[in-house]
Amino acid sequence: MKDAITKDLRPVLRRTALVALSTLLAFATQAAAAADWELGQHLASECVACHQASGRRLEGIPAIVGLPTDQFVALMDAYSRKQRENTVMQAIASRLSPDEIEALAAYYGSLKAAD
Amino acid sequence: MPIDRRGFLASALAVPALGAPAVLGQAKPRVVVVGGGAGGATAAKYIARDSQGAVAVTLVEENETYQTCFHSNLYIGGFKSYDEILHRYDALAAKHGVTLARARATAIDRDRREVALATGERLPYDRLVVSPGIDLKYDSVPGWSKEAEEAMPHGWKPGRQTQLVRQRLDAVPDGGVIVMIAPPNPYRCPPGPYERASMFAHALKRAGKSKARIVILDAKESFSKQAAFLADWERHYGGMIEWLGPKVHDGITSVDPDTNNVVTGFETYSDCAFVNVIPAQMAGEIARSAGLAPAGGYCEIDPATMKSVADANVFVLGDACIAGDMPKSAFSANSQAKVAAMVVRSELTGSRAFPARYFNTCWSLVDTDDAIKVGGRYEPRDGKIAATETFVSRPGESDELRKQTQAENIDWYQAITADMFS
Repeated sequence: MKDAITKDLRPVLRRTALVALSTLLAFATQAAAAADWELGQHLASECVACHQASGRRLEGIPAIVGLPTDQFVALMDAYSRKQRENTVMQAIASRLSPDEIEALAAYYGSLKAAD
Repeated sequence: MPIDRRGFLASALAVPALGAPAVLGQAKPRVVVVGGGAGGATAAKYIARDSQGAVAVTLVEENETYQTCFHSNLYIGGFKSYDEILHRYDALAAKHGVTLARARATAIDRDRREVALATGERLPYDRLVVSPGIDLKYDSVPGWSKEAEEAMPHGWKPGRQTQLVRQRLDAVPDGGVIVMIAPPNPYRCPPGPYERASMFAHALKRAGKSKARIVILDAKESFSKQAAFLADWERHYGGMIEWLGPKVHDGITSVDPDTNNVVTGFETYSDCAFVNVIPAQMAGEIARSAGLAPAGGYCEIDPATMKSVADANVFVLGDACIAGDMPKSAFSANSQAKVAAMVVRSELTGSRAFPARYFNTCWSLVDTDDAIKVGGRYEPRDGKIAATETFVSRPGESDELRKQTQAENIDWYQAITADMFS
């Protein structure tokens, strides 16, 4: 009896599971996209203490507004592995998770520097 | 039972939030920020800007302009003009909608959730941010007092005192002796006295007064960036700067503002050209009188939120709080303000909250194109704000690196003051 019900319900369950899974994935993707940028925006509040929010280029601290995402990630990776000099950036990069670096890169990549 | 707005709000706040902000649906929640320095200005701006008008933010600050204590040593050393370390609050109002209350806050009534101003006005709040900086302990150096701060200036608070230190330095003759009395921990800007001594030596040397001497009588056995400072002093200034710890000078017996004499357990410095007394410090008066700090002390906070442990509606930032491993610096205050602003917005508007994290760097200029730095990254851990990564300049670093560090220092000032005031 139990087996029969299970057998009858199997396609339904499978369909339901698939729908649930795809819905979950859609939500997760949307949430991740939104969360990433929001997380990046939050984390960036630490960056603007040194890197001008205006994106103005200065002599000692580089502008990071509008930096291409892959370049941002590569730079942070180099700092976290101490392949690039600068103790401030090494301390920052080494405590950020890959997700956080991606979020920051997405956020800064989406900004446009003021002229 | 009639429920007035305050009572209604209080009961709404008492209900644990289930994903919904406590005061949504109420009239616009009110945040009052006391003190327009590095912590207060940042908190006011971030709460107002990021809540996009959903929170009414009032910044209570009696001064029209703010002189940064950070980089005031560069003014003293002749690297910056006084105007370059002055900032205004106009943009906080015009760009971010912060209401400026140009008055001194005289009292905080935590039961009624009100801040009293010297004008007689009372500002009600849902959340309060207290960032009053430090007060000086005038009785911490024998013979020194509030009345003596003209004759023997501290220069550890902005405005006239900073300018007095510069004037007194400029008047030191070749061969004159400056005695600096350096404070015990914890105090505002740990490397500050040593950067200042460097700037004294730089200005004197540049004015052709290389026979002048600076004697630092320290209350501490060691100090921030000590190895790099000592090596650089020798390299740039020969024997102009002499640092003496308490085991050597055996304590300050007395200072005399009339004769400019300083007596220690070991020797007497007579007829000094300039005595710079940097005394022991404590949280600003309004924080102490509000019961946020013990007598003569600083304010204990929750490291995850920057909330006072005495009151969950009150946040304490910057030099006035006990920030664990973080030094009392403008950078620290700015970093703490962002955590507080995030928590305030989350509680009042339901915005997303993230785990607290903090960062600090203190740059110090030793001579032209030679700056050193110390800093770290911090997180709440074991009941305090604990360092998770630290770094410090080492003696013998290359000239190129030191020049780059000073370029960072200059750029950092531009960025962080823009972050606070524009």
